[in-house]
Amino acid sequence: MRLQTTLFSTLVGMVLLLLPSFITQAQTIAPVRFGVLAFADPVATVERWQPTADYLAAQLQRPIQLLPLTPDALAQAVVQQQVDFIIGNALTSVAFKKQYGTSHILTLVNRSSSQPEHSVGSAIVTRNDTHIAHYKTLTQLKIVSSDANAFGGFQIFAGEMAKHGINAYSQLPELNFVGFPQDKLLHKVLNQQADVAILPTCVLETAITRGEIAPSQLKVALVKPQHYIDCQSSSALYPSTALSKLGTTDHQLATKITQALLQLTPDSLAATKGRYRYWSVPVNDSQVFQLLEKLKQWPFVTNWWLVFSNLLPGLLCGIFILFLGYLHHLRVKSLVKQKTKALVDEIQQHKQTQQTLLEQQKQFFRAQRVLLTGEMASGIAHELKQPLAGIRYLTQGCIFRLKNTDSESLTSELEQALTKVIAQVDRAQHTINHLRDFCQQHSHYQDCDLATIIDDAISLMQPEFNRRQLQPQLYYQSAPIYADASLIQQVIVNLIRNALDAMTDVTQPQLTIKLNCQQQQVYCQIQDNGCGLTALQLQRLFIPFETTKADGLGLGMVICKRIIEEHRGHIDATSLNQGLSINFSLPLRSLADAPHLSD
Amino acid sequence: MHPIYLIDDDQDVIESLGWMLSGLAINSQAYQSADAFLQAVDIHQAGIAILDINMPGIDGMALLTYLKQANSPIAVIMLTGYGSISLAVKSIQDGAIDFLEKPVDGEQLVNLLERANHTSQQRWQQYQQQQQVQQRLALLTPRETQVMQQVLSGKLNKVIAAELNISQRTIELHRHNVMQKMQVNNVAELAHLLIQ
Repeated sequence: MRLQTTLFSTLVGMVLLLLPSFITQAQTIAPVRFGVLAFADPVATVERWQPTADYLAAQLQRPIQLLPLTPDALAQAVVQQQVDFIIGNALTSVAFKKQYGTSHILTLVNRSSSQPEHSVGSAIVTRNDTHIAHYKTLTQLKIVSSDANAFGGFQIFAGEMAKHGINAYSQLPELNFVGFPQDKLLHKVLNQQADVAILPTCVLETAITRGEIAPSQLKVALVKPQHYIDCQSSSALYPSTALSKLGTTDHQLATKITQALLQLTPDSLAATKGRYRYWSVPVNDSQVFQLLEKLKQWPFVTNWWLVFSNLLPGLLCGIFILFLGYLHHLRVKSLVKQKTKALVDEIQQHKQTQQTLLEQQKQFFRAQRVLLTGEMASGIAHELKQPLAGIRYLTQGCIFRLKNTDSESLTSELEQALTKVIAQVDRAQHTINHLRDFCQQHSHYQDCDLATIIDDAISLMQPEFNRRQLQPQLYYQSAPIYADASLIQQVIVNLIRNALDAMTDVTQPQLTIKLNCQQQQVYCQIQDNGCGLTALQLQRLFIPFETTKADGLGLGMVICKRIIEEHRGHIDATSLNQGLSINFSLPLRSLADAPHLSD
Repeated sequence: MHPIYLIDDDQDVIESLGWMLSGLAINSQAYQSADAFLQAVDIHQAGIAILDINMPGIDGMALLTYLKQANSPIAVIMLTGYGSISLAVKSIQDGAIDFLEKPVDGEQLVNLLERANHTSQQRWQQYQQQQQVQQRLALLTPRETQVMQQVLSGKLNKVIAAELNISQRTIELHRHNVMQKMQVNNVAELAHLLIQ
């Protein structure tokens, strides 16, 4: 039967080799995979368990695959479900039960042990002449062990040390893990390369039985009395190897395997080769839990890698989300920065515009003031000059008359006084002339465009328009002129301001500015729908000191007229049905030669 | 001295100026506008006008131009509140004696008046002479005028007789009449009279 199966398997194997397309069919007889904990030599491990595997294959009529795995690899295999069953020490079984939900189904009964609960311990092997009185002594000795994860070899020992308040991982400075095989450790102690070897129980006794070590050379120190096993142990004893099934493994398969293994007798090939008596139902493993708890004091035992790998996807996801969040944050930040910058720029620009406007306005008012003072000085000078001239004539007339009289002394005295009067008049005259010259605005003629000047004036008065909720209607065309732009601007602003003042009580104020070029002249009309002027007011519009405004000086229109006429233009006003139209004309540039400079 | 006319819209100023001049025994007549002046005065007589520029109605510059166009012998002195170079130049070009700024010094004005008096006298005499010559020319017959023009161009009597196709004797007669009517003794005097 078995031969037939093997033959069949071989045949199938050949067919598989020749015809890979049959792979799917071949996979239907999937092998049962056993993960076996192996620290050192996978070959030795496979050798130990192969007979048991073969036995199972025969019983189940299914191929059994043995996978010797290190503790880490085993844990990974369990996570990825690459195995169906695991054979491991008691600690691993309990740990996996807790971490991965494996089920402990059978416990191995060792050949040396009568009680499966107490079959493995740790032996502190030292030379015969070395005396170890207490666990504390160990801290000063050179210690070797095979592997930190080895159950009997080290972890039981570490638990025992912990019972005595010693941390085996940090408080043994001269502890070295030298790996397998375990006999090597015995030789190291013999050669005095180490003082103490930490080994599972029975390793020394087996070596002595095999004759590799002389019985008197080495001994087990700190022996704990017990009657469960034939070997000496330095620690409490724990259950031996356990068989566990994964949570996902089919329970019928597990039952079949359990049944098969429980039928094994100590003299079967599997048991002899596997160095065990038989398999038993799971034994009390509370001791192992306690040990695990003890060892948990050290982070080493907590399977951080496992915890980490379990958490890894979530962690990565979290990091990714955090990263995305951070990116979003960066983006928002940069957007905010951009917007802020744009905003700041705009504010800056606004400020500049405002500044320019303010500056322009200031300049305008300064010019206006200068013009007004000039005009006032002119008026005052004229008014004073006439009487001064009269005084002078009269005084000189006196002198002339005195010269004709005979009274010498009186004549010379009066003549002196009158000459002084003349000198004073001349002085006053001089001052007035000086003042007048000083206040006179000097024109600065240049090529400019009346449309641009009007634009500037309107932007100058924009706040006023906004306040009145008025948008002036403009009918423009380019009108190149040769003029003093600032003076013309004075005129425009004055006229617009007059218009606005006239429309104070009008609910729907309308301001129209028209430019029209005809026959080498540009005609400008500024129309409002304000209160207008009476016929008499219209007649006296350009006469100095005539004003309809309570706080007006009555020079605005005079200045406008003077400026326009200085530019060889003409200005007049006509009444509309409602409101007033001020019209002025200026020569276009082609016609304007050197300006006429009058006083 | 020829009559002196003061023209200014400010009555106080013009009166005080007149009073000053009367201190020097110079009489003057005051007018408050160009119109008033033109209505009252014969501008073809010699005289001196002291003109203000800024006046309502016809202003000083316009009056000056008018006097020049009318070939008036009146000598004009411009007297203004505020002089400018362009106005001064224009005034002199239009025949003003001088361009002064108010108030003018009496002494300076007197000197200027004397000069103006002289100028006006000359202009008047010239005007008179021109009037006389005009009157004499008006006495000539068309033929006599024709002969006079030929004589003045330096042609001999026989040439003139040939050109006008009349006898030389007739030419001599016309020529004699011309000399008599124009009150000159020879051709040189005639030429001198007509050049003026």
